[in-house]
Amino acid sequence: MSRSLSPLEQLIRAEVRAQRPRLMVATIAAIGVTCGAALLLGLSGWFITAAALAGLAGPAVAHAFNYMIPSALIRLLAIVRTGSRYVERVAGHEAALQGLGRLRPRLYARLAEGRGAVKTLAAGEASSRLIEDVDAIQTRFIRLSAPWALGAGLLVSAGMAALAHVASAVALVVGAAVLVLGSRWISERWVRPAAGDRQAAQGQLKARLAELEAATPELKAWSLEGWATAEVARVADAADAAAVTLARRAGSLMSWAGAVTGLTLAGVVGLPLILSPVPPATPLMAVAALATAAGMEAALALVVALRDAGAARAASARLEPLMGEVEAARMQTPAGTALGLFPDRPEIPGGARVRLSGPSGIGKTTLIEQLMGLRVDVEGRMSAGGLDPARSDVDVRGLFAYAAQEVSLLDGTVAQNLRLADPKAPEARLWEVLEEAALAERVATAPKGLNMPIGPGGAFLSGGERRRLTLARAYLRTAPWLVLDEPTEGLDARTEQKVLHRLRARLDRTGQGLVMISHRPAGVALCDVVLEVDGGAEAAASALPVCELGQTFRSQDAQLGD
Amino acid sequence: MTAVPPSPLTLRHWLREAGRPQRRGLGLAALMTTADVLPATGFAAGLALTLTAWPNRSGAIVTGILLMTAAFVVRGLVSQRAADVGARAAAGIKGQVRRGVVADLFAGLRPSGGGLIAAVEGVDRLEGHYARFEPARMAAVAAPVLVLIAIATASPVSALILALTLIPFGLSLWLAGTAAAAESRNQFQALERLSGLFLDRIRALPAVAAFQASDTVASEVERASDALAKRTARVLRIAFLSSGILEFFSALAVALVAVYCGFQLLGLMPVPIPEPLDLGRAVFALVLAPEVYAPLRRMAAAYHDRQAAEAVVPTLERRDAPTLLPAPRLGKSPTVSFRGVDIAYGDAPPVVSGFDLKIRPGQVIALTGASGTGKSSLLHLFLGLSPLSAGEVEVDGHPLSRHGDWCGQIGWMGQSTVVVPGTLADNIALSQPDASRDLIRATAEQAGLTLDLDRRIDERGGGLSGGERRRLALARAMLKQAPLLLLDEPTAHLDADAEAALIPALAAAIKGRTCLIATHSRAVMALADRVVAL
Repeated sequence: MSRSLSPLEQLIRAEVRAQRPRLMVATIAAIGVTCGAALLLGLSGWFITAAALAGLAGPAVAHAFNYMIPSALIRLLAIVRTGSRYVERVAGHEAALQGLGRLRPRLYARLAEGRGAVKTLAAGEASSRLIEDVDAIQTRFIRLSAPWALGAGLLVSAGMAALAHVASAVALVVGAAVLVLGSRWISERWVRPAAGDRQAAQGQLKARLAELEAATPELKAWSLEGWATAEVARVADAADAAAVTLARRAGSLMSWAGAVTGLTLAGVVGLPLILSPVPPATPLMAVAALATAAGMEAALALVVALRDAGAARAASARLEPLMGEVEAARMQTPAGTALGLFPDRPEIPGGARVRLSGPSGIGKTTLIEQLMGLRVDVEGRMSAGGLDPARSDVDVRGLFAYAAQEVSLLDGTVAQNLRLADPKAPEARLWEVLEEAALAERVATAPKGLNMPIGPGGAFLSGGERRRLTLARAYLRTAPWLVLDEPTEGLDARTEQKVLHRLRARLDRTGQGLVMISHRPAGVALCDVVLEVDGGAEAAASALPVCELGQTFRSQDAQLGD
Repeated sequence: MTAVPPSPLTLRHWLREAGRPQRRGLGLAALMTTADVLPATGFAAGLALTLTAWPNRSGAIVTGILLMTAAFVVRGLVSQRAADVGARAAAGIKGQVRRGVVADLFAGLRPSGGGLIAAVEGVDRLEGHYARFEPARMAAVAAPVLVLIAIATASPVSALILALTLIPFGLSLWLAGTAAAAESRNQFQALERLSGLFLDRIRALPAVAAFQASDTVASEVERASDALAKRTARVLRIAFLSSGILEFFSALAVALVAVYCGFQLLGLMPVPIPEPLDLGRAVFALVLAPEVYAPLRRMAAAYHDRQAAEAVVPTLERRDAPTLLPAPRLGKSPTVSFRGVDIAYGDAPPVVSGFDLKIRPGQVIALTGASGTGKSSLLHLFLGLSPLSAGEVEVDGHPLSRHGDWCGQIGWMGQSTVVVPGTLADNIALSQPDASRDLIRATAEQAGLTLDLDRRIDERGGGLSGGERRRLALARAMLKQAPLLLLDEPTAHLDADAEAALIPALAAAIKGRTCLIATHSRAVMALADRVVAL
């Protein structure tokens, strides 16, 4: 059983185990609620019916009637039912919240490790999936007590019905079974698909809205705000319609429960009348009828639980493909630092300064991201530190400090963004790398300095400042290779000179290797090896070494081919 | 949002107003919820009939059984209908509110992250309020009274006992509910923060993955999750306190009626009560006793739906747009003049100060200068996206301060390019949706975009290189024959050859139009009639 569990299932089970004490309390309390409710109603019915008959029999019988114990029991049951309900609610929800609080970050970590599906997901949809699906899994924690409570409640109710007649008890058990099984069928076939549709529609809404909102300046320029609002409304109406469908379908469970309860009641009361020559005593019949109502109500609780469980299963099925497959501990990490970008070329030794060249659109960015194991790739094309980065059990990211062309910043402070590269870096180090990226002055003059918030996606910074912050972040990471994709794009000539001058000084000092994509002449001068990228964007690429900037083809090969 | 927390009364008023267009739907849902009294009474009467007839096995037993069965069938159908009608009304209201939020978002009246959450999760939190709470609240007024009347026909004293328990019940529920409201608002704010954090951190996944920082970020998410769990646990404890109170009074009602009826039937009441009670009447009263509280329980079960809705109201309210005169239509190539323009964001020192410039019709100006000297901010002025802190900008003599922006009459190419899912042609036509296919193709060629027009593109720009995204943006700006053309770094991300290839197209695009270009490129500057250094 534990062998074939998916990684997500293993995660969830571990959290359920951690919450076991709370869940036990919740389960015991839930049993108290259902049993207490059935007993309270049944006992009350018996009490007044018996009292009525005793009253009819005359004052002598009435006075002999023991009313103390039943009336005390009735009060006790009222308190038990109340207390149990409260404990069940609080313990169940606390277990769920705590379990989820632990599950979310683990999910995030696995998501960040998975290099397949997640990168192709639009941000809006991925996050809406994550949040809503994790919330759907919440019900797995809360509803864990439902089957036990149902079982106990039904047992007590059936026992009470059996006081009247065995056939009544049988009718109740059969009725409850039909209710639950039928509801399960309705949930699976009728409600669950609607729940999946709704969640998908909601995810689409979020993704669409996020992508249009990111376009606000351009939308304003083209006067498309009205179009965008209508476009969102169109997607939103679909999501709302899916919600109505879900509500209607979930409501059909109520109709089913009503019909089954009515027929069960007819069986519980009618069968003894048909089967037995001497009908059971009236007070016991009152018990049986009221216990049936209570027992079927307990069964209905399970129906709701089943419905939620269906939603939780759909959610975990969607989360499944987003998870990374191999645990970090079992990953192979490189021992060397040499890079092989192309199968037919010699490897580039550590410390080299390499420029990738080629017309825009040829796939240079894709190539370096595949080299760093950030993108899915076919195996056997590249090597980094002696390992194939395309393999799923290889992690070569430790070799590289990457400043991407598509700037990716956290909505946080300057320091927070820099420390992504080194969580423990002292402030002095942060200033050092900011200085190297020609951004120290800008940060120093900001009122909050390193704690200056940069806004969502770095919105409070200019384009050039965002680029330099990304650069500083890459500088902070101690790695054999610095990988820079258009590092000086959008910088004016003076700043560019400053940045490149300091980069050269940095490389000379540290001996760090450089892989750079740059079209700008100033950047070109920094590199001593040029690799011409030639081929399709995603397909296998090959390299033609080109001599440039005083380097001869021969000397280049000599340098590379040891 | 606001410094002073809004009072619950204001919030409820807002919710009531928002629900007004769906008044009929909500009323119908309330009616269906109230109608539940009917089958409940039917079951009580059926059981009373059955038990009274039971000792002498009369034919009334069958009638009783049929009545009970029919009651449950009807009860199921009625509650399904109530759920359906309620969900429809809620969907209508949600759609209406969301439209307002989204319109404000695109008008630039809301901060982006918070606006997205308000439009999706925030609006969703209204659903429970309108679909469940509002019908249950209306039913909670009428239904208990109807049940009490039904009980009074059989046993007025039982009805009186039940009516009296409602007073302490209402009082304790009100006390518990008030405490929960504030907690619920706090909880939503925490959820909003967590959701925003998640969205942002997932957006940053590429960087997080490259720096192997998933543990760092995951622990940050964990801290936020923990804070949320703590807050929510506190809300639940209080929210469940009120449901516990309800459970208590509901159970108490059954117990009191059972004990009273039992003692009265036995003739053992300490004070003689002149009420003729028999088995049937007593059973009827007992079975209906919990039904007095059933509508209130339904309302209480949905109470946190209302609190959740109240908590989001401040984030859903419409934002006031500044009242500006509509921008007049501009001529083919307008004049532009900047006089003493200052641009300052918030309290920060101005990025532009005392900027003066006169642009003649059809003149092309290149703005150049070090990064951070406010080139982009000057261009943003025309879109209403940067603040005109002092001075004036006039387009064809119309002051910007009075019209706010010139959106819709601007051709724009920004530093980053928007990509919407769809075909390449869809993406180009974003600036001019009614452009013909031939015009799109011709413009794409002019901009050097040689890809298949039907190629599909996803939100992250899948399949487009940095250079191709630039060309897409340029094609868009070229397609729109706007009077004023603003280009922000039009050749960034292009290599020297591609830039050179683009220059003729760029020259053709700007010909005869008033044009402002922010650029570092000498080749682009060469296209300008005048280069202005900042």
